[in-house]
Amino acid sequence: MSLGRRLASLKLTVVGMLLLAVAVGLRYGDPDRVSVWVLVIPMALLALNLLAAIATNPRIHRRGGLLAFHVSLLVLVILAAIGRLTLYEAHVELLEGQAFSVSQVFDVRAGPLHSGELHRVRFVQGPWTVSYSPGLVRGPTRSTVHVPDGRGGWESRVVGDDTPLVLEGYRFYTTFNKGFAPILTWIPDGGGPAYTGAVHMPSYPLFDFRQVNTWTPPGGPELRLWLHVDAGLKGDEAWVLDGRRATARLAVRTPEGRVELEPGESVRLPGGVLRYERLSTWMGYKIFYDPTLRWLFVTSVLGVLGLAAHYWRRFGAGWMAARDPARSGRDWEAGLGEAAAAVRRRS
Amino acid sequence: MEAVKDWLSVRMVAEMPWLWAGLAAYAMATWTALEGIRLRAAGAMPAVTVREGRVLFWLMLGVGLLTVSLAQRWVRIGHGPFVNLFELLVSQLFSLGLVYAVVYWRFPQVRPTAVVVLPILWILGLWVLMLEPEAVPYPPTYYNDWLWAHVGFGKLFLGFALVGTGLAGLILARAHPRLEPWLRRLPPDEVLDNLAWRFMLLAFVFDSLMLIAGAVWAQDAWGRYWSWDALETSSFLTWLALGGALHARLAYRVPLRLGAAFIVTVFVLAFLTYFGTPFYSEAAHKGII
Ligand code: HEM
Repeated sequence: MSLGRRLASLKLTVVGMLLLAVAVGLRYGDPDRVSVWVLVIPMALLALNLLAAIATNPRIHRRGGLLAFHVSLLVLVILAAIGRLTLYEAHVELLEGQAFSVSQVFDVRAGPLHSGELHRVRFVQGPWTVSYSPGLVRGPTRSTVHVPDGRGGWESRVVGDDTPLVLEGYRFYTTFNKGFAPILTWIPDGGGPAYTGAVHMPSYPLFDFRQVNTWTPPGGPELRLWLHVDAGLKGDEAWVLDGRRATARLAVRTPEGRVELEPGESVRLPGGVLRYERLSTWMGYKIFYDPTLRWLFVTSVLGVLGLAAHYWRRFGAGWMAARDPARSGRDWEAGLGEAAAAVRRRS
Repeated sequence: MEAVKDWLSVRMVAEMPWLWAGLAAYAMATWTALEGIRLRAAGAMPAVTVREGRVLFWLMLGVGLLTVSLAQRWVRIGHGPFVNLFELLVSQLFSLGLVYAVVYWRFPQVRPTAVVVLPILWILGLWVLMLEPEAVPYPPTYYNDWLWAHVGFGKLFLGFALVGTGLAGLILARAHPRLEPWLRRLPPDEVLDNLAWRFMLLAFVFDSLMLIAGAVWAQDAWGRYWSWDALETSSFLTWLALGGALHARLAYRVPLRLGAAFIVTVFVLAFLTYFGTPFYSEAAHKGII
């Protein structure tokens, strides 16, 4: 037997599939320690096997639908690999009123061939709300964003949950990670320029009890800040988290002790004056980019359509329109065609 | 007495009487089908009239009653039966019953499978009787239209796999000397096998569609189309097992009974994916504050 034929063996297909199943099981238990090659090797084996079968086995290459299905499997594997190589994933936290910029992203994971244009993405974060059911079960998130409308103006969109913001092929997903941020101004002693910034407090309401963070203003001391938020949170009732309806006092540790500030109030600290301007909010987004998504979808749908066509040709209309068994006398024969005939011949 | 009272007190909601009535109708269908097999074995009636019309009647009645039960619940709690195990079980009882009833009606050759299929439905039925009809909040990612495609294809997949399993079950049951006399007058194993694999291939088509629709939904909802979580891994293994079984039959001369065992295995895997994975995977489909 030639090597091609041996490579095309359907027995190899079964073995390859078994190996793949084992590999998937192994990876599931321990994806960090089990190398991705454990998956790649059986897949590569199956791909070779399939290529050889398509080349040599008329049972597959003479049947359009079945061929389409198997080719789509191959293409899917290739697309998924391209997807891994061109992938981009990251996170970003945006303050209300703030424009997105590449410099803010963190936790970046980019494939070696990634070549998207994240720097062209422009949008501005607006206000957002999150609804909760009793028991603090998170319901719909509605995050308003403003995107350029292409005519020199801006248009508003509401994104969240299963409606990502898609710009330049990048998909921005709201996350459970969102919260409050006091806007602070630091006025240094000695007349240097004042500096205004925002401190993102931990995710709310997840860390309702721990709204603490530190901030070191330019040239100033490290400040330890607590935020006492009143957002109307009642765990046992339905509730909407809406930054516009929340208030918060800011506690700051000073050499003399602790002071609490309302928006607009200031405190003198070593090296300058800290003013608590107002309360704002931030929304955390997951960014995802994979240029193969559309092609994966098209390929898989075409593949299944091919398989359906194969099915229809093989078992098709005759079987579907099964006759009334009462008329054939032997009920199991109705519409069975070749199978029934074969059994009849034998008996 | 107290225990019965307790059991009842948490179940006094609109959909329950309809659910019980639907299960009772399924019980009648099961009983009638068993009676039909007995009559058929005894040769007491022309094979084609053995109670099949009555089985179909009870089955359709059951589906109708479960439809009302689902609708009542939908109105009561404001969302469809997609979230907790109670809802998934009732919904599958409805859709498996419906798919099976349609196949039963259109494909007379599969009618003897009722004695295997209906008892399988009873596993779901008994399970749901043990659960409380509590309502849980509707996850925000479930407003997506792909949910319908994903769930719909999944129901067709499991429905056709159930028919295949019914046929495979007959082959396996007939291998048992005690059961053989009851099933002697059914079509030969070759015919059952041929039919069973037709349904399994059909199930495979819908399984593939379910995975595609699920991946699109996952991309919208979680920002990734596939990440090998418990449910995804389990459903991929089910798909692969069915593909593997189809190929094993092409590559080897698989004895009929072994082939039937493959089908049952695939069905068990699918069943565990649907109803088992939620037990060991807490993370899937749960909201985080
Ligand atoms: C990777 C190597 C593969 C090879 C060499 C291969 C080969 C074949 C061949 C030759 C047939 C036609 C058999 C016939 O009807 O006579 C076939 C059918 C089929 N293959 Fe594959 N295949 C491969 C992978 C897969 C995979 C991964 C799946 C999905 C899990 C799959 C699903 C199917 C299905 C559903 C059929 C139709 C079976 C039928 O009509 O009864 N194949 N394959």
